[in-house]
Amino acid sequence: MKTLRSVFTVLILFLVAACAGPKDVIVLLADENGKVGEVTVQSTDGSKVVLNKALASAEVGAGDLTKGQMVQDRVDVVFKDVLSALPQNPVSFILYFRTGGTVLTEASKPVLKKLFDAVANRQAAEIQVTGHTDRVGSAGNNDKLALKRAQAVAQMLIDRGIKTKRVRAVGRGERAPLVPTKDGKREPKNRRVEVIVR
Amino acid sequence: MLRILTVFSAIAAVFVICTSQGFADIGQIKTLKGDVKIVRSDKTLSAKAGDILEQKDSLVTGANSSVGMTFIDGTRFSAGPNSTLELSRFRFNPTTHDGEFQTSVKRGTLAIISGQIAKRSSEAMKVRTPASILGVRGTRFLVKVGGEE
Repeated sequence: MKTLRSVFTVLILFLVAACAGPKDVIVLLADENGKVGEVTVQSTDGSKVVLNKALASAEVGAGDLTKGQMVQDRVDVVFKDVLSALPQNPVSFILYFRTGGTVLTEASKPVLKKLFDAVANRQAAEIQVTGHTDRVGSAGNNDKLALKRAQAVAQMLIDRGIKTKRVRAVGRGERAPLVPTKDGKREPKNRRVEVIVR
Repeated sequence: MLRILTVFSAIAAVFVICTSQGFADIGQIKTLKGDVKIVRSDKTLSAKAGDILEQKDSLVTGANSSVGMTFIDGTRFSAGPNSTLELSRFRFNPTTHDGEFQTSVKRGTLAIISGQIAKRSSEAMKVRTPASILGVRGTRFLVKVGGEE
């Protein structure tokens, strides 16, 4: 009788465990500067927890949501493969131009070299090239000039063997200055091309 | 003659602008190890680094396999071994940074570094797991779906 009861107890425990089922685990991480955002975890029955501290975690199964705290060592073990597959951070570069055309300033030539290196060191690099101008000349002409500057940089990358479809060149004219100025004013900081390598 | 040329180049410029906004791609595969498949409509494609991703694609990784990807709003994802991930809905306006990103992780592990879409509110980016819905705001986090030990 006693054995039967204990078998029964074990069976009940087993069934409860089976009903609870496997749980999903969510862990919040800090970024490289130590900043932490927020994840709101809502289970299917509507209950919620908010994660907003580094390594705060939630476990959620059917009708069951608990908040906890992970340790870094466990994160490193459980999530090792997925963490090592994350793509690198995007990097950005700014190249400056002489007035009125698509000639780079001397100071920007080493930056161009850095850009080429960054592209070479990346798998399947995608490059966004955005041209800008200062406010000398009409807005319409500056749209054309900004695009020409972007296309000139794009062409330098293509000449170095980057596939055309991996480079996207756009011009933004005088709309997005680094240094806001009155119309007609020369501003070397605004005569630029911004390049983002992803 | 010069005028015709100007008109022509203006048309060409407009054409370039239009087509560049009409891209169906929402992101790209950047890192890949082992056996990774993209399921698109009814087709199963063998994935490689540089492949373009589209809305509604599913990614499936095998044993000892993993995949990392970037999206056009700057979001980064990676999936570990034995994972299935669906890119259910993706919309992003590069000018206003408005957008919407819904992902569903069916099994395995997922790492997310959010981008522009998740900067404004926790409503724009949602990740579904079998037992929960996650609202994401400006952060990085990990997800492991139960029962795959």
